[in-house]
Amino acid sequence: MIEVKNLTKQFGSQTVLRSISETIRDNEVVCIIGPSGGGKSTFLRCLVLLEEATDGQVIVNGVPLTKKNAVLMRRNMGMVFQNFNLFPHMTALKNITAAPIHVCGLSRQAAEAEAMELLDRVGLADKAHAFPSELSGGQKQRVAIARALAMHPEILLFDEPTSALDPEMVGEVLSVMKSLAHSGMTLVVVTHEMGFAREVSDRVLFMDNGVIAEQGSPAELFGAPKEERTRNFLRMVL
Amino acid sequence: MALYLEGVLVALKGVPVTVGVSFAATVIGILFGFVLAIMKLSRSRVLGAIATVYVEVIRGTPVVVQALVFAYGIPQLLQAHGVAFKWDRLIIPAVLCCGLNSAAYVAEIIRGGLQAVDKGQTEAAYSLGMSHSLAMRIVIIPQALKIALPTFGNEFVALIKETSVLSYVGVVEILRRGAIWNAKTFYTFQAYIGVAIVYMLLTIPLGRLIKYLEKRMSTG
Repeated sequence: MIEVKNLTKQFGSQTVLRSISETIRDNEVVCIIGPSGGGKSTFLRCLVLLEEATDGQVIVNGVPLTKKNAVLMRRNMGMVFQNFNLFPHMTALKNITAAPIHVCGLSRQAAEAEAMELLDRVGLADKAHAFPSELSGGQKQRVAIARALAMHPEILLFDEPTSALDPEMVGEVLSVMKSLAHSGMTLVVVTHEMGFAREVSDRVLFMDNGVIAEQGSPAELFGAPKEERTRNFLRMVL
Repeated sequence: MALYLEGVLVALKGVPVTVGVSFAATVIGILFGFVLAIMKLSRSRVLGAIATVYVEVIRGTPVVVQALVFAYGIPQLLQAHGVAFKWDRLIIPAVLCCGLNSAAYVAEIIRGGLQAVDKGQTEAAYSLGMSHSLAMRIVIIPQALKIALPTFGNEFVALIKETSVLSYVGVVEILRRGAIWNAKTFYTFQAYIGVAIVYMLLTIPLGRLIKYLEKRMSTG
């Protein structure tokens, strides 16, 4: 479970997050939607301390996240990035086994066996020895998801995972994400894919101008948005 | 015409020493330059300051001055304080000096390489629970070195020319060979043209080779 209390983030004179308080419950699938610059990515990145908040707290399973414990806490929270960020000098298999071997001390055999299972799960067992440069965008993202899963995190964060993909590859990635959602993992997904948000999430947060302007179940938020700005946004994207 | 050829042949005799010293100095330069780069990027202010001062002093003074201080200055200073010191062979301070000099430049090359690695790589490494040093070791540094590799090649070529300075400290490399022949025969123009030609025979093919390797690495 992630508790966020009065999370504030300023970049110079710009306030990107305005004292946000929210809770992400276990096994919840939360999608964050909203206009660009609204603070969605910054919020997500604060959850793993890839951004340092100016004020406020992030509390994961009862433990406040600090610079000192971030390295340890991050083992439990995986992240999938918009630009994949696969390690180009390693094969798909090595990308996935790197952290389990060097961070968790797993043996090479155990790590590779599990990595192959994960690759199979995302439909890329045959690409185990391919380098990222040999993979399509959709394949890269699926490897990135497998890489994050290899650390057995309780929570997986997605920062616009399909925004950098050609349209025909979006489906294969969303499909993997859907199966993760159905398996009961806690997912927090910043996305522009409204269809996915509607179909899979337990809760949708609409973020605008540094605050969570509105939230609700997909039916509530998409079907009967209460706020004017939510309606405006949805009108533009749907 | 035969004199020009002789000038070249005389200069050619210095090639083994020049190439040997350049190679040794490049290796020292890369190893020590790497240490300096890490020091500069470390969180320790003291280490960073030491590295910065070192780089500024070395890059701010001519190599020939550094060579003279090393080869002649240090023994004299030690002797003045009663320590009987003399370099066994002047090639030792020569190689050290060029290596330590090269290190200052290599440090900046490596620092550039490290900063050229995409920020997303560090973020991905952190997100997997890697510490900063682990991320550097298995994700960032390998990529930085790959980026910096062509520049190392250029450093080697630069050193080949720079080692000409060592003729000042008694190392018989290419330039010194030419200078000795000139002192004997007074064919000054032929002597130094011969020297120039031999340097070009080394640097031009090497330069092409590095360009070729650079191309292969960027497409691979």
